[in-house]
Amino acid sequence: MMKQPLVQMRGIVKKFPGVVANDHVDLDLFAGEIHALLGENGSGKSTIMSILAGLYKPDAGEILVDGAPADFGSPRDAIDAGIGMVHQHFKLVEPFTVAQNIQLSERDGAFLLSDAAIRQEIKAFETRFGLAVDPDAPVWQLSVGEKQRVEIVRMLYRGSRVLILDEPTAVLTPQETAELFVNMKKMAAAGCAVVFITHKMNEVQEVADRVTVLRGGKVSGTMLCRDVHAQELVWLMVGREIVLNAERCASGQCGGEILSMKNVSALNDSGRPGLSDLALSLRAGQIFGIAGVAGNGQKELAEVLTGLRRTETGSIQFLGENVTGMSPSELIARGISYVPEDRLGMGLVPSLDAVENMLLKSYTHPEYSHGWLINRKAAEAKTAAVVQQYNVKLAGLSQPVRSMSGGNLQKLLLAREISEHPKLIIVVYPARGLDVGATESIHKLLMELRDQGAAILLVSEDLDELMKLSDRVGVMFGGQIVGNFPIEEVDLEEVGLLMMGLFRPKEERIHGDGR
Amino acid sequence: MKNRKFLILMTVVMALALVLTGCGGKKEEPKKEAPKAAEKLKVAFVYVGPVGDAGWTYAHDQGRKYLESKMPDVQTVFVESVPEGADSERVITQLVEQGAKVVFTTSFGYMDPTINVAKKYPGVTFMHCSGFKTAPNVGTYFGRMYQARYLSGIAAGKQTKSNTIGYVAAFPIPEVVRGINAFTLGVRSVNPQAKVKVIWTNTWYDPAKEKQAAMSLLDAGADVIAQHQDTPGPMQAAQEKGKFGIGYNTDMSKMAPKAVLTSPVWNWGPYYVKVVEGVKNKTWKNEQYWGSMKENVIDLAPFGPMVTDDTKKLIADSKKKIVDGTWDVFWGPVKDQTGAVKIAAGQKMSDADMLGFNWFVEGVDGTIPK
Amino acid sequence: MAMAVKLEKRLNPSAAMNVIVPLVSVLAAFVVGAIFLTLTDRDPLEVYTAMFKGALGSQYGLAETVVKAIPLMLCALGISAAFRMQLWNIGAEGQFYMGAFAASYLPLTYPQLPIWLMLPGMALLGCFGGGLWGLAPAMLRARWKVNEIITTLMFNYVAILWVDFLVYGPWKDPKGFNFPLTAKFPASAALPTFGDSRIHVGLIIAVVLAAVFWVVFEKSRWGFEIKVIGASEQAARYAGMNIRRNIYWVMLLSGAVCGLAGMAEVSGIVGRLQPNLSPGYGYTAIIVAWLSKLHPAAILLVSILFGALQVGGFFVQTMGVPASVAAMLQGAVLFFVVGGEFLTQYRFVSSRKEVA
Repeated sequence: MMKQPLVQMRGIVKKFPGVVANDHVDLDLFAGEIHALLGENGSGKSTIMSILAGLYKPDAGEILVDGAPADFGSPRDAIDAGIGMVHQHFKLVEPFTVAQNIQLSERDGAFLLSDAAIRQEIKAFETRFGLAVDPDAPVWQLSVGEKQRVEIVRMLYRGSRVLILDEPTAVLTPQETAELFVNMKKMAAAGCAVVFITHKMNEVQEVADRVTVLRGGKVSGTMLCRDVHAQELVWLMVGREIVLNAERCASGQCGGEILSMKNVSALNDSGRPGLSDLALSLRAGQIFGIAGVAGNGQKELAEVLTGLRRTETGSIQFLGENVTGMSPSELIARGISYVPEDRLGMGLVPSLDAVENMLLKSYTHPEYSHGWLINRKAAEAKTAAVVQQYNVKLAGLSQPVRSMSGGNLQKLLLAREISEHPKLIIVVYPARGLDVGATESIHKLLMELRDQGAAILLVSEDLDELMKLSDRVGVMFGGQIVGNFPIEEVDLEEVGLLMMGLFRPKEERIHGDGR
Repeated sequence: MKNRKFLILMTVVMALALVLTGCGGKKEEPKKEAPKAAEKLKVAFVYVGPVGDAGWTYAHDQGRKYLESKMPDVQTVFVESVPEGADSERVITQLVEQGAKVVFTTSFGYMDPTINVAKKYPGVTFMHCSGFKTAPNVGTYFGRMYQARYLSGIAAGKQTKSNTIGYVAAFPIPEVVRGINAFTLGVRSVNPQAKVKVIWTNTWYDPAKEKQAAMSLLDAGADVIAQHQDTPGPMQAAQEKGKFGIGYNTDMSKMAPKAVLTSPVWNWGPYYVKVVEGVKNKTWKNEQYWGSMKENVIDLAPFGPMVTDDTKKLIADSKKKIVDGTWDVFWGPVKDQTGAVKIAAGQKMSDADMLGFNWFVEGVDGTIPK
Repeated sequence: MAMAVKLEKRLNPSAAMNVIVPLVSVLAAFVVGAIFLTLTDRDPLEVYTAMFKGALGSQYGLAETVVKAIPLMLCALGISAAFRMQLWNIGAEGQFYMGAFAASYLPLTYPQLPIWLMLPGMALLGCFGGGLWGLAPAMLRARWKVNEIITTLMFNYVAILWVDFLVYGPWKDPKGFNFPLTAKFPASAALPTFGDSRIHVGLIIAVVLAAVFWVVFEKSRWGFEIKVIGASEQAARYAGMNIRRNIYWVMLLSGAVCGLAGMAEVSGIVGRLQPNLSPGYGYTAIIVAWLSKLHPAAILLVSILFGALQVGGFFVQTMGVPASVAAMLQGAVLFFVVGGEFLTQYRFVSSRKEVA
């Protein structure tokens, strides 16, 4: 690899109010390599790539493309230089077809290309890289994996030689991930430089040629993947050793049935069936993991259980009581707790301070009230205690929580929910976007809660997380639980296929309930 | 997103606030720094609109200028665009506190405030235009504009081909109703087939809305437009459509020379001089003055070139009778819209009835909102 | 080397800035105003002195400034209640008129009522009228998600025309020569005033209400609900708060206070129902509420500032300054205060950038 790098970034500095996101970052990208960019959240990996893609202007430093200095004033400039980025949130026009979406990113001001020409090119990408997309399918009909492929094709179509993928596997099933990796290798083989942002170590080792680790906005190391151990990468990433496979805590004693759902149906936001005839049973001291690709009813399940969504048919029994159709406040009062996917906005209110967020569900409790007034002193004391107990890092009790990091937000949110001693807690994507350290503490909290006898419904898209925490795993697809296994019997491949809706277990396992 | 929504909101609000606080007044009155002649009598005017409105307020301000030019020992001061709510009482008070000895309040809505302030300052003379309340130091004044309206109706009745005349009316108050009736009687005195179609704008000063109202009347077949607001909007509409119009307040032919036949106009100057002289000579009485054509408080502006000599003669004849006092507009017989005789032949409508006019005469196509 | 200037959001606007910036802004507005006045051959110092004297410099001016501020205070307080929940109630003007209308019903229909029945009755009716007028858009919003900005704004026109209809029609004073006025209210329907000024009891009501608002919105459980709903409707639902019910209550309260402002104006100042009751109090109050950042005490002060601006604006006309220049001065103050507000949130930083 002594040839000239395709892209050289030299001494890149980028400051945001109050933080240095990139502190003199150097990065070389060579044609034909898959380069992983590893780092905790907030380590600056997204920032450095956004600079390369022309979204931000660096405060200092230079970018060389093919050895010549480049100054990107906009994403357009970067694209013209052959650099394309696929973001976590796709930038596709949903009602348009694939071909139309690709056409939108026309090159060289050519406004209308003949349909045939576009089809031909799309076909070419399929044969070269295995990127199969149907040019006539409207984008809204596509799965997440397919949309991602459209985005990649779009970038290639625009002539990208450097392809940046921002956490591409976060939304994919294992099968889709494997497919993506194959495609990535083909693209690299064809002379592209593929940059792959992730915080999953196994993926780095599986697919990347080189890896650059960022910590606190600085490069803490760049190395060839085959020379490096996972443990070493973790150390570079967090600057401390972390036990990767925390032992599964002594599995909680399963108690009596806490929750029983029968034939539950509900509509999703667009009025179509979101849950159909769903059945589920949860016991005290049990973590029930829900696997599945996002959008298969996980959100609806959580909202039905918390009273935020109407149950159309079926019944929900909680601690022997029929709670179907109860309001959120009634369910909260009965001990159902919820850690939503949308931490900042639903679970916590960004503009309110920590104390007020702590009070969010308990402001009517007598212990925090003087009659109809709020007893702020009591709430402050309680918050301070909780913050200390759960080791939440705050700028101050009276500072708006919006400036807190993702991990601390999640800790605060979880701490609030746990401190109310719930009997059932629904936790959705608890570790999404969190770094290794924060993920670890969140997992610990969940296990402690389980050990105290609460029932936990854990919705996650991270199979490792599910495997690590759950006592049972159910797979959701199309608004139903299509597989339900005790943890010992989980076969990852089978789970992956179920998530895709491709496979039904031969043996009837759905009734294997509890232990 | 929230912020953007809010920004848009604020923009709308500010625009509304600005419109409502009234941004008028293009004309500036260069104030001669009066050599501190201690004897100067200070006379104040309170206006409802901006002095540049080319209408009601402008006419009063012309009167104020006339007063200043005729009486060098008088110093005048004015406040324009004064809302008729809580503000007017303060403005009047502050004018008196600044030494005004005579105050003219020139809008109906200033009636109670004028009376209230007058109670506190018995030594100051107040004249309220168009109201009906008096006090020992408060008189009222107004003009028999209906006389000029009648004459302008003759011009309109002679000019119309479609026999439909549009009347852009301000508010359904007696003053306006009286004007419409007088105008209609004038029209039908020369053209009994003609109808006067009335549209209410509920505005005194809204050029766009008033122009729009005139447009809809023109679209409905009217070929002469009369008006009662303080802007030349309706006249401009008539000119744009190649039709004719009767202005109001001041000579509006400057704004629409091809359309304006004539305009009933106010001529306050001489009366203001009379009042101020009366105060100076201590002959002023708290009368309810209702000036007529004879006293020249009201008049018709010069005719446009399209008005025929024949028409001019008809108007001159009627004017002579009015000025002589041998005839007036609301002398019987006058029928209402249903054809019933409201004023019998030989009867004269009393001033009190005229001041409370609330029915339309025959020939008016419109209703008075009740 | 090139210098670039860019805008950066401040992390924590300091408390001192929150006080200093508005003051500097007002000052800057007067400097700009001075340039204009000089250009039109007027001595700015003289004009400003007059403005100050007219609005604040004499007992009478001061009292009148307060008189002018009372409806602003009440309307801005009412508006602030809705704004806290991010309900953009633009309908204060209409609620003011409906309050004035409802309050007028009592003295016009039962003029013989004793004062101790009349005034509380009028206040109650005023709140009721304004409150209902706020409640209607709230229903549309809560049930069918109809944008309340549009409905409250439209309701203004309806309310104003309704009052017009009454005073031109059924409620016209039979002895009023067909002029659009109701009969004068009996003395028992006039709010007591202080000394011989026109300041009426409405001032005390506004101050007490401001204190109550502060406690309710900053300290109470209900206030907490409103705060959460305003900050994030999703979070409020999640926390089990009843959003629909709160929309009703908040708009009812908001409208009721604006209605009370209308009652205070007909009872304390005008003494009858008439058209043109409000020179846009309901709209100006939106700006007042916003500049005060919805803080009740600030609302009282900013209302006085606006009252002074208006009173002073009319006063300088007596020196020959046209109304438009006075309006321009008011506009300049607004512009600079809003601009200054922006600067407390953001700051300019210069950055040096190496250019290859």
